[in-house]
Amino acid sequence: MLKEKIEKIKEAALVAVENAKTVEEVLQLEIQFLGRKSEFVGILRQLKDVSPEEKKEVGQLANAVKVEIQTLLDQKKKNLASTFDAAAEKIDVTVPAVKLRRGHLHPLTQIQNEIEDIFTSMGFEIADGPEVEDEFHNFDALNMPKDHPARDMQDTFWLRSQTSADKTQTKADNRQNDTEEKKGERILLRTHTSNVQIRYMETHEPPFRIIAPGRIYRNEAGDSTHEHTFHQFEALVVGDDINVGNFKFVAQQFFSKFFKKDIQIRIRPSFFPFTEPSFEFDISCTVCGGKGCSACKNAGWLEIGGAGMVNQNVFVAAGYPRNKYQGFAWGFGVERLAMMKYKISDIRLFHSGDLRFIKQF
Amino acid sequence: MKYSYNWLREISGTKLSPEDLIQGITMHALEIEGVEKVGSDFENFVVGEILEISKHPNADKLQLTKVNVGPSLPTSLPEGERGDGKDIILDIVCGAKNISVGDKVPVALVGAKLPANGMEIKAAEIRGEKSFGMLCAQDELGLGSDHAGILLLDKNLKVGTPLKKVLGENDQILEIKVLPDRAHDAVSHVGLAREVAALTGDKIEYDYDSLKLGKKKTVSLKVSIENQNLSSRYIAAKLDNVKIEKSPQWIAQRLEKCGIRSINNVVDVTNYVMLELGQPMHAFDFAQISKDGTAEIIVRSAKENEEITVLDGSVKKMSADDIVIANKQGVLAIAGVMGGKNSGVNNDTTSIVLEAAAFNSTAIRKTKNKFALQTDAAMRFEKGLDPNLAEKAMVRAIEILTHITDAKLDGLVDKYPNPVKPWTIKLELAYVNSLLGENVPAKVSQEILSSLGFEGKKVGKDLTVTVPTFRLDVLTQEDLIEEIGRVYGYDKIAPTAQLVSIKPPVINEQRTFVRKVKDVLVGQGFSEVYNYAFYSQKDSENARLQNFKHLELEAPGNLEQTILRVSLIPNLLKNVSENLKFNKELHLFETGKVFLPGENVLPTEKNMLCGVVVLENKASKKNGQSTLQQTAFFQAKAFAADLLLQLGITDHYFATFEEGFEQISKSFCHEGRASEIRITGSNDAVGCLAEINPTVLADFDINSRVVFFEFEMKGLQAVSTAEREFKAIAKFPNVLRDVSMVVSDGRRIDEILSLIQTEGGDLIVDVDLFDIFDFADGTSSYAFHVIFNAEDRTLTTQEADSVMEKIISKLESELKVQIRK
Repeated sequence: MLKEKIEKIKEAALVAVENAKTVEEVLQLEIQFLGRKSEFVGILRQLKDVSPEEKKEVGQLANAVKVEIQTLLDQKKKNLASTFDAAAEKIDVTVPAVKLRRGHLHPLTQIQNEIEDIFTSMGFEIADGPEVEDEFHNFDALNMPKDHPARDMQDTFWLRSQTSADKTQTKADNRQNDTEEKKGERILLRTHTSNVQIRYMETHEPPFRIIAPGRIYRNEAGDSTHEHTFHQFEALVVGDDINVGNFKFVAQQFFSKFFKKDIQIRIRPSFFPFTEPSFEFDISCTVCGGKGCSACKNAGWLEIGGAGMVNQNVFVAAGYPRNKYQGFAWGFGVERLAMMKYKISDIRLFHSGDLRFIKQF
Repeated sequence: MKYSYNWLREISGTKLSPEDLIQGITMHALEIEGVEKVGSDFENFVVGEILEISKHPNADKLQLTKVNVGPSLPTSLPEGERGDGKDIILDIVCGAKNISVGDKVPVALVGAKLPANGMEIKAAEIRGEKSFGMLCAQDELGLGSDHAGILLLDKNLKVGTPLKKVLGENDQILEIKVLPDRAHDAVSHVGLAREVAALTGDKIEYDYDSLKLGKKKTVSLKVSIENQNLSSRYIAAKLDNVKIEKSPQWIAQRLEKCGIRSINNVVDVTNYVMLELGQPMHAFDFAQISKDGTAEIIVRSAKENEEITVLDGSVKKMSADDIVIANKQGVLAIAGVMGGKNSGVNNDTTSIVLEAAAFNSTAIRKTKNKFALQTDAAMRFEKGLDPNLAEKAMVRAIEILTHITDAKLDGLVDKYPNPVKPWTIKLELAYVNSLLGENVPAKVSQEILSSLGFEGKKVGKDLTVTVPTFRLDVLTQEDLIEEIGRVYGYDKIAPTAQLVSIKPPVINEQRTFVRKVKDVLVGQGFSEVYNYAFYSQKDSENARLQNFKHLELEAPGNLEQTILRVSLIPNLLKNVSENLKFNKELHLFETGKVFLPGENVLPTEKNMLCGVVVLENKASKKNGQSTLQQTAFFQAKAFAADLLLQLGITDHYFATFEEGFEQISKSFCHEGRASEIRITGSNDAVGCLAEINPTVLADFDINSRVVFFEFEMKGLQAVSTAEREFKAIAKFPNVLRDVSMVVSDGRRIDEILSLIQTEGGDLIVDVDLFDIFDFADGTSSYAFHVIFNAEDRTLTTQEADSVMEKIISKLESELKVQIRK
């Protein structure tokens, strides 16, 4: 008797599950056929009243049916869950997405990172130094003694000495009294990153190769190509027999990597107190490659920066013996490279803080 | 300085075209900043004489002229109008009013092209009157900017003279900024011509080096130098029979081309010699500086407060630092800088005293800067000049003056107690090659040095080089190597890799860290700005920073930038103010140095990171559901916390303002909305997070609330442990319990969180606040998920419940919260 009932339930369940249309219906059927209050469970409860033989036979059947129904239910649930009505769920894919907020590194940071990476790959160390500097490290040690006309080449932001800041001295008085101040006591905003050369050499012995990137200051009126605050990159290589050819090689490698094309280096005589010989150096035009175009004003060359062989007086000031080492130093402006790379026409944009500018990078 | 190509060619004898000469100078000597073409061949331009002037019948502003252009045969004129050897009279309409009958003027004949703009002159009819040419103003001839009227020429010129003969041929003017090393010798045509000659192997035709003063003495002149340190040489020469008048055209033209105004023959000759040789000279009127027929010149230090009226009319009050030229009666000139108004030549001068001297360059430089007198003389003297140059200049000036006028040399005085002699430098030829990275043959080095006026004698493997006294800049081997290298040609030096050790470079950890920080912030959607390191006094007051010591600029370029920042905030607030004009929400950051004056000479420089967040205030409370966590403060807190986590700083917490706050940032923060960021177990804060005080915002014209977070990079780096340690993934399931409570105002969430953590001990892996609800009576409801887990077993419900009971009873008893059940 019980066997028939079970068979009947199975038949009914198979049909019902087969016809179910939704997951909810299947869940309902699960309760109906296998739930605690279901007829099937009721039958199982009656098993305790039947003979052991029947109990065994019916029990096995009931289990098999239960598994079969459950499997069916699970299968049906899965099938129903994975079907959907594409038409009903259609969306307008042309609705604009919510705008994500994106952050931007300042273009100068991006350029500086690129430069640092290239030099690092060539085995250069990155050295740092202070932005507020004493007269010794910014000038004297770089072979620019007081009253040397070369100091006029770099308009300087002098700072009021901290020790005399409380005195009610006029600016003019301060300037007049400079001879009375002790060596190196006047302070200023560094006019170049070359102060780092001295500070590095004071604590390191050759051979070495370093770059000194950083912010520098010149007391001059601004226009679209001049800023009182800008960034410089300086390289210094010192060893026993470093020469002009080595400089040309490193410069050529660097600029070729930076502009991702073959770049030629041209050097012309110039003067810097901290190098002898001194050069201006140009790179072959990054637009026309040297044939002449509007970017290089038909010169075929772009002026990039200054360089030279480290003046022996600089080595001596840093504590090295005269004529023991040879080295080259060179520097260039980061802004200028950024302006060339991104075709930026006004240098003042870099420090404008204007997001309409920064967000373009 | 401006150099004339024609003049350089004349001195150097070079055959180089202007283009080749420019290229050669650029690559081997000096940087040329600009080239200007001046003048023209003036084809079809002649000297004309005005014969008649009459009113133009149809135009008030025009005149009709009849001009005799001589028997010119300009090819452009039709056959019949060429005049057949007789003077040609042309009708020319003219607008200028400065002409009168008898004037000699430049006439552009039909067919001439104006040098200024290339316009071709054609026979024309102007308002009904025929015109066969044009009378020219200076600017139309390409000779300057004067358009005031027709250029009036010397009345003695013959009509029909080709204008080229009068105004000179075309030329190119090179503008060269000579750098300090060559300012002793190259700021002159002879100096540059020497370079040009060295490039091509030409010889300078005029033998300047052998110019020697005569010994002619005069009783009318006495010179004394008070102190050798002021002036190493002073030459004075008296010339009589001088007549002050206009200079000959060739002198005036050369001066004008080089940017010096022609004044009169004497002054012009001193300037001409300066342009030619580089030695500034001065001319005194003998009558003005002499007494009883003798001029007694004294070179001395000025007395304190001694005054002089200089040529430009201004009165200068001097001190003992200034050098003056004086006589017994008083000061005649500020030595090497500017002459006195009353001692110089004037139209009545008949005898002059010429001065050629060498002065202490440092003193001249200070005097020049003090009085802001940027004269050509001062700019040369301040760089230092070879005393031997004074002699050449004096010889040359006398030579020219006696040639162009009837002046006669009366006699001269030369005070030069310690003559400067050439010096020698031992040059190791091996070093030449080692430093240049190029094998320059010894003979080539020798030839190059000799072409520049040096003399190199081979001594073994070295050269003993004698340096001419005009090359004050050449003192070391390296100076000589530069001379050899540049003339040899840097272009010939091949790029060569150096031999280096393959040791990897030491990584600059600070920079790597800063980069990482920036990358995290950019990832969070912040944009980076760069600000100046300065701001104004007003900015510091607006940010309530006026009581902190700032470094001050001695001479600020503008009033907006007078002091060095002690905080990044003032300039960032200016960025916020500007950018809010175009944005409603902002996420900005800057890294940069602040400068804190202290006890040492140099200030403490701290590299700071500061982020600012501005949100559009659109969150509104719905049914008491708290929106606190959507505010800018908590968004900024989320970013700051995430930054710390990404830097490997896990054990940080946000302390309250009361527990202490960084002094500088305290000045501009909102006291009720400020937190200091600390690391567990460390006394020092690593940073802070706060809203800007609204009154500060008002002073920066900002209407939105602004929240900032700030870290000092070094401190942050010190606690950042980029290394992470793996923790085993939980093997057993979490047990989750929620607890919700009503708390009255004033109870902080961190107290509740820390109580739950403490009571739960190791079994609690996380506590999350998931709901805040504010009631009208000021109390709030907080709801937390408490997540339990044990490493070694599956936690039973009972275990979790019993811990929860403990927690709840503590919350009720210690924190007086009301648990919602």
